[in-house]
Amino acid sequence: MPTRSTPILSLLTEDLLIQVNEKLVQDSDRKKWRLICKEFHRVDSLARKTLRVLHVEFLLTLLKNYTNLHTLDLSVCPRIEDGTISLLLHHVDHSIWARNLKCLNLSRANGLKFAGLEMLVGACKGLESVDVSYCCGFGDREAAAISGCEGLRELRMDKCLGVGDVGLAKIVVGCGRLERLSLKWCMEISDLGVELLCKKCLELKFLDVSYLKVTSESLRSIASLPKLEDLAMVGCPYVNDVGLQFLEIGCPSLQKIDVARCDCVSSSGLSSLIGGHSGLLHIDAGHCFSEVSPTIVKCIQKLKNLNTIIIDGIQVSDTIFQTISSNCNSLIEIGLSKCEGVTNMGIIKLVSGCVNLKIINLTCCRSIADAAISAIANSCRNLLCLKLESCNMITGKSLEQLGLHCLLLEVLDLTDCCGINDRGLERLYRCSRILCLKLGLCTNISDKGLFYIASSCPELQELDLYRCQNIGDDGLAALSSGCKKLRKLNLSYCVEVTDKGTKSLGYLEELSDLELRGLDKITSVGLTALVTGCKRLIYLDLKHCEKIDDSGFQALAYYSRNLRQLNLSYCAITDMTLCMLMGNMTRLQDVDLVHLTNVTVEGFELVLRTCCFRIKKINIHTV
Amino acid sequence: MEPNDRLSLDAWANPSSSCNGLPRKMSLENPSFTNFNLQQQEQKWDDTSILNYGIRIEPPFLEFNQASESEYLLSSTCNNQPKVLDQEDGLNNEALQTSKSLDWDPRTMLNNLSFLEQKIHHLQDLVHLIVGRKGQALGGHDQLVTQQQQLITADLTSIIVQLISTAGSLLPSVKHKLSTGPPNGQLGELLFPPLAGMNCVPQPQHGSGSVAVQPQCVTGSKVSDQCNQMDVTGSFGTEQNLSIEEHEMKEEEDADEGENLPPGSYDILQLEKEEILAPHTHFCTICGKGFKRDANLRMHMRGHGDEYKTPAALAKPNKESSSEPVIIKRYSCPFAGCKRNKDHKKFQPLKTILCVKNHYKRTHCDKSYICSRCNTKKFSVMADLKTHEKHCGKDKWLCSCGTTFSRKDKLFGHIALFQGHTPAIPLEETKGPSVSCDKMDGNEASNKSGNINFSFGSNAGSGAQNIIEVKEDGDDPASYFSPLSFDTCNFGGFHEFPRPTFDDSESSFSFLEAP
Repeated sequence: MPTRSTPILSLLTEDLLIQVNEKLVQDSDRKKWRLICKEFHRVDSLARKTLRVLHVEFLLTLLKNYTNLHTLDLSVCPRIEDGTISLLLHHVDHSIWARNLKCLNLSRANGLKFAGLEMLVGACKGLESVDVSYCCGFGDREAAAISGCEGLRELRMDKCLGVGDVGLAKIVVGCGRLERLSLKWCMEISDLGVELLCKKCLELKFLDVSYLKVTSESLRSIASLPKLEDLAMVGCPYVNDVGLQFLEIGCPSLQKIDVARCDCVSSSGLSSLIGGHSGLLHIDAGHCFSEVSPTIVKCIQKLKNLNTIIIDGIQVSDTIFQTISSNCNSLIEIGLSKCEGVTNMGIIKLVSGCVNLKIINLTCCRSIADAAISAIANSCRNLLCLKLESCNMITGKSLEQLGLHCLLLEVLDLTDCCGINDRGLERLYRCSRILCLKLGLCTNISDKGLFYIASSCPELQELDLYRCQNIGDDGLAALSSGCKKLRKLNLSYCVEVTDKGTKSLGYLEELSDLELRGLDKITSVGLTALVTGCKRLIYLDLKHCEKIDDSGFQALAYYSRNLRQLNLSYCAITDMTLCMLMGNMTRLQDVDLVHLTNVTVEGFELVLRTCCFRIKKINIHTV
Repeated sequence: MEPNDRLSLDAWANPSSSCNGLPRKMSLENPSFTNFNLQQQEQKWDDTSILNYGIRIEPPFLEFNQASESEYLLSSTCNNQPKVLDQEDGLNNEALQTSKSLDWDPRTMLNNLSFLEQKIHHLQDLVHLIVGRKGQALGGHDQLVTQQQQLITADLTSIIVQLISTAGSLLPSVKHKLSTGPPNGQLGELLFPPLAGMNCVPQPQHGSGSVAVQPQCVTGSKVSDQCNQMDVTGSFGTEQNLSIEEHEMKEEEDADEGENLPPGSYDILQLEKEEILAPHTHFCTICGKGFKRDANLRMHMRGHGDEYKTPAALAKPNKESSSEPVIIKRYSCPFAGCKRNKDHKKFQPLKTILCVKNHYKRTHCDKSYICSRCNTKKFSVMADLKTHEKHCGKDKWLCSCGTTFSRKDKLFGHIALFQGHTPAIPLEETKGPSVSCDKMDGNEASNKSGNINFSFGSNAGSGAQNIIEVKEDGDDPASYFSPLSFDTCNFGGFHEFPRPTFDDSESSFSFLEAP
């Protein structure tokens, strides 16, 4: 065989191979490519631009092999510490792998401190984008280390709880060319820091100050930013209408504004902001004020280019839909979650004008019925996402209309729509592009419905069947043969599911998130069959699966090396197996071990000793 | 074969055998060290720039002094007065006064006399008017008449006072006597009370006192105008401090800025600088003269009218305020050109005598009190020094240039102003106390101490330290991981192609956010 393949490969020169390799999009395809032969593997390592490392032990080898990286993602790699970095820099020539590196993702790298960060930043001179979000321990010194990236254009610091004005000042002075900056949940940052930011970083295009304790003074400074396009300030409790009035006359390039949950902002403040920026594309004012006022409606008339409007939780009337329909013809997304006053008539008016709508969120709009959905299906042929959670009046008729007209539909949320049954799901047969389907609490769905889904939605990646009590093993068997790309599956409290069902789930190789709460018919046999098949499992919830014994958990410990989050509360696991489990799972970050009656205190102590250095969150609560 | 080229490019620094690795690694470390040095250099450069800045503080003063001197020359040529360079005004008072009393300017005398002539004419007109009206309405308006009488007596007294002062300038002995009290500017007001021995003190008697008071004010200010001209030399010495004026405006003084009393609704009092600088604590509320003891003040008050001669008034004061009609008093700074001087276009009066004292010392005097802890901060008011000493050494907001600030917003204002300056972060909170200025000696010392305790650039010594550590025992990489994890750190075992996949599948779920 090798003698035959060699001449063919010799025809394919390296540059051709690289071009072919670049066409590969799916990770699984790339993996297959790598496994063909050494030459292909070499080509892949040459052409590869992005790398996401799962295990820290492989980091050094990987960086030696991949020399052309643009993006390095260490966000899911546990135990990135200062020691790791110094080791890396002194065992692998960083002038090679760091040469072209532009993006570095260190999200959740809590172990990293300023010394390591400083070394890393010093090695990667060309960094343009850094993500240190959710590094809750990061403070001003870490921020100072990041400020060494002079060419930095994008920085995410969400929830870096220790970073204050001083840290921000460091970054602002060091990285004057910042264009995108997220300071969400950096609770220490005040008006002073924001003011300095706006004085020094005049290139800013995107700024997120959500949940900060800043006041309208900050908006006065932000208003002076000449290039700002996108401003997010969700949940800023001290910002009021005065601040929005500053924005009215400032920020000439503003396109997107998010003032959701800003309690002190009223509709008059928002309308003054809109009045100053008729070119706005995106408005999010969810839960801001109680009612849409006539002045807002008047202002919206001017927004001819509006793409997105989200007014969750605000009382509306049909007039606003009339206004939007006749003025904002390019509207793509509308969010009306928990809005009171949304009627069928209103929605019919809306879609008569806004035929380009792709995303519609009608969560908890309880008076919506089939008439509205039919109108949506008839007008918005490009619909991608429709959320109808808790719309109890929806029946199969709606699904029939969607199945007839909205062939591009990708996301459909029918959670808690008790009017949906198997026949309804059958009507969706033409929606073959559905990626995400939520049917939680739809108690009328049975295996039959799953057959229809399995046969019509081959692309399905996420399926929620929470408390669909009529689901059984046959339905899962159909699912595992029809929806091979399934990644997230919630079967919690589908109490009919037995070992047979979980066995068939084992054929879903892509499965990464699986919730099996309260399935008390599953035993170790089923779990073993599941984990031997689903090697990619990242999140597994086995709470209240009380029939599973140690042999099942031993299989789990042996096969599921990629698990990051695990819930074993109320399970029958014993000391030894738990220790083995926790010792073996090197990527485990978050584990729930509540109410394990078979585990002794000594057992817990041993468990903690084995995993304490790497685990980030553990919940041990015994009665 | 473009990819091959690229490959060879990649491989140039990628030695295949492991023995080449070591020297290359060494060479790799060197650059990082030089880098570090470079940054140090930059750091130093920063420091020197700030030193320059520190030095630059001096020249403006010199320039200013020169300017003021030249200005002084100019004015002195106009006035034909000899040069008196009193830098430390207030101390050289005696010399000043003697020099003044020695010279006699006939032109000023002429001015004064012609002014008095006008004044008398004006008074004549007024009396004519009264005579005319008396003919029309007999005994009609008693009140009006008494008011007019008082007006006349007030004017007359002021004329007398000026006459005496003009005459006094001829006689050195008289002049000297006069100027032991507050001289020149307030001469009219000062001499007014004792001379007008009868009931000609206008203020206490009327509810509508402003009418009666006004002429006094007008004449007073006019006189002081002239006197200011004569007094040029005296006030000049203080002008050197003008440059500080803007920065040193304390909140205490600014506090009354919001108060918008219409001009004329209050009585302006201007103490002379000798009076301000004298160590007095008791001041006459009518004329502003200061005394060391309250008893002396009470004796002085007798001269302001009969009501001060009663035994009750002479006894220790308790109930003084009850009988007094409320006349708002505001104070003017004697320094010509000062915003607090009543001749300034945007005059803002000072509220109390204490304000006057503090304002004058802060803005127009040398700062003779130096903080003994930092040796840099100077103050002209003792209380200010004491306030500073409470906080000295606790300036916890430090800029990379070495400047310290007691307040965060001041530091941020500074950083916003200067390119490349960043806030310094203390290495460890526990080391805090060593930042104190105890051993600092001027700017340089403060810079140095900053270097010790703070990291300035983002790449401070700590990073380099770490590299050194790694070099020292870099043979055993496993030691860098926590001891419990050595099982996974067996790197030799993973040189084959890794078993698990690289990529999490979850990433491609992003379609939800970006369709």
